[in-house]
Amino acid sequence: MDIFSDLAMGMSIAITPINMLYLLIGAMVGMVVGVIPGFGPSAGLAILLPVTFGMDPVGATMMLAAIYYGSMYGGTITSILLNTPGESATVASTFDGYPLAKNGRAGPALVMQAVASFVGGTVGVIMITIFAPMFAQVSRSFGPPEYFLLATMGILTLIVMIGSNWKLGVISALIGFALGTVGVDLETGQGRYTFGSAELIGGIYFIPIAIGLFGLGELFYAFYSGMHRLGSGGLVQYGKESRFWPTAQDFISTRWTMVRGSILGFVVGVIPGAGATIASLMAYSTERSLSKTPEKFGKGEMAGLVAPETANNAASSGAMIPLLTLGIPGSASTAVLLAAFMLWGLRPGPLFISQNPELAWGLIASMYLGNMVLLAISIFAIPLFVLIVKVPYRILGPCIVVIAALGTFTVNSSFIEMYLMFGAGIAGFFMRLYGFSPAALVLALVLGPLAEEALRQTMTISRGSFGIFLERPASLWIIGGTVALVILLPLLGRIGTNAGKAERAGG
Amino acid sequence: MRIVFLVALLGAAIFYSYIAFAELGFMTRTGRLGPGFFPRIVGLAMVGMTLLAILDALRDRARVAAGGTPGAEDAPYGRWRDFALLLTLALGYAVLLRLFGGLIATVLYLGLALTLLNPGKHVQNALVAVLFPIAVYLLFDRVLNAGMPPALIDLPF
Repeated sequence: MDIFSDLAMGMSIAITPINMLYLLIGAMVGMVVGVIPGFGPSAGLAILLPVTFGMDPVGATMMLAAIYYGSMYGGTITSILLNTPGESATVASTFDGYPLAKNGRAGPALVMQAVASFVGGTVGVIMITIFAPMFAQVSRSFGPPEYFLLATMGILTLIVMIGSNWKLGVISALIGFALGTVGVDLETGQGRYTFGSAELIGGIYFIPIAIGLFGLGELFYAFYSGMHRLGSGGLVQYGKESRFWPTAQDFISTRWTMVRGSILGFVVGVIPGAGATIASLMAYSTERSLSKTPEKFGKGEMAGLVAPETANNAASSGAMIPLLTLGIPGSASTAVLLAAFMLWGLRPGPLFISQNPELAWGLIASMYLGNMVLLAISIFAIPLFVLIVKVPYRILGPCIVVIAALGTFTVNSSFIEMYLMFGAGIAGFFMRLYGFSPAALVLALVLGPLAEEALRQTMTISRGSFGIFLERPASLWIIGGTVALVILLPLLGRIGTNAGKAERAGG
Repeated sequence: MRIVFLVALLGAAIFYSYIAFAELGFMTRTGRLGPGFFPRIVGLAMVGMTLLAILDALRDRARVAAGGTPGAEDAPYGRWRDFALLLTLALGYAVLLRLFGGLIATVLYLGLALTLLNPGKHVQNALVAVLFPIAVYLLFDRVLNAGMPPALIDLPF
């Protein structure tokens, strides 16, 4: 019953007019971020984070979270109408989404993706409501050894998902760790890598690096890939077909698909490093293997669109669990969210929900409302987002540079940080070009100081013995879980990727 | 280019490790792990992994020379030109911001950038170059009270 009273309290906080306005703005912005190809939630969150600094933390977290899960809704619109995923998590939605649109069913596809996203997102939030307090309870027994292992697990799982370029993923994470060591060592007070600069005493600031790597780096890469030369020529005109709304058969035939996609997506989302992309590809693969008519997949099968959509939205909810209850982000997007929490002086972890019930439950309650808002926006504001799709990248690009530069400056009114952001943008482009992982770098930059502190505390407790990791049951469980994930995740990822390749080859 | 990038990274990793070993203690005077403990591990790992990546890159180059498929970075000249153009514009914008402040610099930058990237559409470009900076100014300076970059050179208007 505690959960219901906490949720009711959260709802009373979330439902105030000003918070609802922030939620609406976040949902709209998230959809726009999702609609712009090559511009994922990490970039959107990083660039828009400074905009929230003048706000109350409850409203700001609600808005940022809405941008995060809203981008999952928006990313599919271009997958269906243009055969171009707005971000990697909606790649699987192109397999059947675009064929549906080409078959004259763009309207039903757009509505069904909105409904599937709503179901996935809402089931995900219900699971957060149930499991977050349980996770927090379990993690209260964690000490420095467990935190060090969890931070390592987050980085390792992300790196193994990179696949053949894993060495470059490790180097990316090491660069993040190295950047995380800059500044005054909190234990001894000695400066590290500051070279006498007052600006570096406090360490390398996370926001300029994240905005540069994800915002500018992605933009430079999009121009390098020639995205600004593309028009919206392949855009399927929706609304000209005889029926805009889905049929009852569409809902009936996909009801279990939604259930399976939601559960699978949530479970994969909770695993640090796995994320919405893997969840959506796995859900697609699972659905095709369970289908009585697998030959229809890739040719405009509604279940082939619904499965990845429910999974990627449930996964983005699932990723909030380790963030809120352990303070361990499992992806670049949740790393940016963690940075936002820290900027407001909040420290997610086992005690976060019990010590900040208004904020935590306000955020969870807002996710219920946010999914409802996004369902309505996704269906009734489609013409608006189609207009955005039609804005050429060559106009959007320079505008993104402006937002990134001014957004970075406004955080601390620092030109140095703005120049750092431009530097990170150039580095981000080359990292992307040569197969490095900007996400691993950012995750390591956030987790590095935490991992170092936890490791040093662990070594102090154990008097220098690494055997402590094998003596504590919780540590052993985490080590076992990490080993299992490192072995299983590449296999699961390969299954999903192979399904995608098969569809693309067949389609 | 990839090898040049990796060699530059190796240089940075060696320098990072040198500082970790030369200036940062492994242990503190009280016998606890010192400020150099973590950087030494990170530095050595970075040097080792970068060397492995350089070996991979050299093998790839030999494979391409023997007639294999070129990597993603071996793109046509036009792609590099587009990247260089946007990069130059972005860096130019950073300089303009310092000189003329947020609003004026953004109008100038967008005017130039859109003229080069979206040629021929003068009305559209002019509207975006003026209206977008005004909207951004209103959002940051007025609504959020965040403050735009100040100008180094005061303009008469």
